[in-house]
Amino acid sequence: MNVVITPTMVGQVVISGILSGALYAMVALGLALIFGVMRVINIAHGPLLMLGAYATFFLWQGLGINPYLTLPLSMAALFVVGVVLQRALVFRVVAAPELSSLLLTFGVSIALVNLAQLSFTSDLRAIEYITGSWILGPFALSKSRMIAFVTAAAITGGAFVFLKTTRLGKAIRATSQSREVALVCGIDVNRIHLITFGLGTALAAAGGTLISVIVAIQPEMGQIWTFKSFLVIVLGGAGNYPGALLGGILLGLVEQLASLFLTTQLSEVVAYVLLVLVLLVRPTGLLGGRQT
Amino acid sequence: MRSGYLFGAALAAALAALAVYPTYGTGYGVRAMLQLFMWVALAGSWNLISGLTGYVSFGHVAFFGMGSYTAALLVANAGWPWLAASLAGGATACALGLVIGYPCLRLKGPYFAIAMLGLNEVLRALVSYFEGFTGGGNGLSLPTLDATVSVYYAMGLTAAVIIVLTYAIITSRFGLRLMTIREDEVAAEAMGIDTFHHKLGALLLSAVGPGVAGALMARDQGYIEPISVFPLAITVTMIVMALFGGKGTVFGPVLGAVVLFVAQEIVWASYPYFHPLLFGAIIVAVVLLMPRGVLGLLQQRYRLPRTI
Repeated sequence: MNVVITPTMVGQVVISGILSGALYAMVALGLALIFGVMRVINIAHGPLLMLGAYATFFLWQGLGINPYLTLPLSMAALFVVGVVLQRALVFRVVAAPELSSLLLTFGVSIALVNLAQLSFTSDLRAIEYITGSWILGPFALSKSRMIAFVTAAAITGGAFVFLKTTRLGKAIRATSQSREVALVCGIDVNRIHLITFGLGTALAAAGGTLISVIVAIQPEMGQIWTFKSFLVIVLGGAGNYPGALLGGILLGLVEQLASLFLTTQLSEVVAYVLLVLVLLVRPTGLLGGRQT
Repeated sequence: MRSGYLFGAALAAALAALAVYPTYGTGYGVRAMLQLFMWVALAGSWNLISGLTGYVSFGHVAFFGMGSYTAALLVANAGWPWLAASLAGGATACALGLVIGYPCLRLKGPYFAIAMLGLNEVLRALVSYFEGFTGGGNGLSLPTLDATVSVYYAMGLTAAVIIVLTYAIITSRFGLRLMTIREDEVAAEAMGIDTFHHKLGALLLSAVGPGVAGALMARDQGYIEPISVFPLAITVTMIVMALFGGKGTVFGPVLGAVVLFVAQEIVWASYPYFHPLLFGAIIVAVVLLMPRGVLGLLQQRYRLPRTI
């Protein structure tokens, strides 16, 4: 490869990195919420994102709804799925050793992917709704990615405001700080768990909706998102919700730079090396400790 | 005590039958037994890290694939004999375990599990990227050689060594320390156990078996490609087997491998598309209803010794 790398190309890559970073942050926030409140890493987070993408696809294809308008529908549908999952399965292992919840959600994730293969087939499906780019000086901003960025940033910001200011949001943060003290304060912890799992899943669904307009979707698209979301949490510092934003943008940047200087084939490898390096050097995350 | 002798005698008889089986068995039968040995080796190896320390590995197939590629490259390009190449496969898998385990096992919590979750994707991408060296998506062919019967014995030996090793660990102080980590890592540390090195040791031991098994399968199949040696399905299957039989026991993974493999060959071969759904459901069901697995349940009910 003897391509000359110009400053414009680097600028373009930085823009793309930031654009995908907001999406990563939003999806990772869902995983971080569930982990923060229940100490459960939901391995099925990515496959639930995949279900959100399919919800949008079928609403668009079947009913002709504008894919961006399906966002609240797909989030609401997956909120219900998350609540049901929590009510039926996950609540039984919240207090159990970590191994149980990891294995349980792993089993759910395998089953979900296979169910999607059986019901939707493994065909690649794409929503051809919005293509092309906006030109801004020397840079091209892909329209679908730009909309995804703005939407994801708005939803992530909304989630922060919700957690900071509303009574429910405060109850969620209180539960994640100390389950016992929350109980003593009269917070219905089981209800908080249900709502948190639903909200976390809805954030994954929002990711699925936005992605389905950008790239083709298929049942196995989700699994890598569990891994990436976790990486974003580790980068930002576990339990540190604003850290997710930094982690997401960092992951987006690293992946894009890797695809510029190496090749897109290796972007996952680079993300992986990043995870191992962070765990080696600064396991508490870049922003450090737990500050909910 | 009497039942102990009975158990020993049954075990010896089963081993003797397996040892002479290739002389009498059909080609299909020998192949099937070879695969069963592989599953015993894989489920038993997974049990060493996840069953004993409670640190779940979602990517043990990475060690399997690592062994496959090491052996295939050594046999095809360097002309190594397959047996030596298989041992080398075990060694490189062990080295991979060190690379992943060193950063991830120093920490408590889910870091190791998630790091393993991404590992096979990473190796698959690397193999595809360095196609000049590994053959990429075209795969690698090994020189033709009918070695099924020899591979049968080698795989059987691998499985047996892993089971004996599990027994030796479970009955040793090392094993007790591992199980202490599983029950309460903070307490284990407070008691002065060097938890990091114990976990790392368990991981390295559990990486060798899949490496060797992957190498032997590469020899038996004669051809490998990234999709065939790094599928998530292999990880899922070994986890299901170990969980179903009983994690943290010596013979649980053997029991799980035999029951599920036979069921797979007889019943589910007709429904290949439902496999993952079924396995996912089994994992969920075992975790919720039978966390100690079938053998753990029997141990509890019939007061069997902890060391089976």
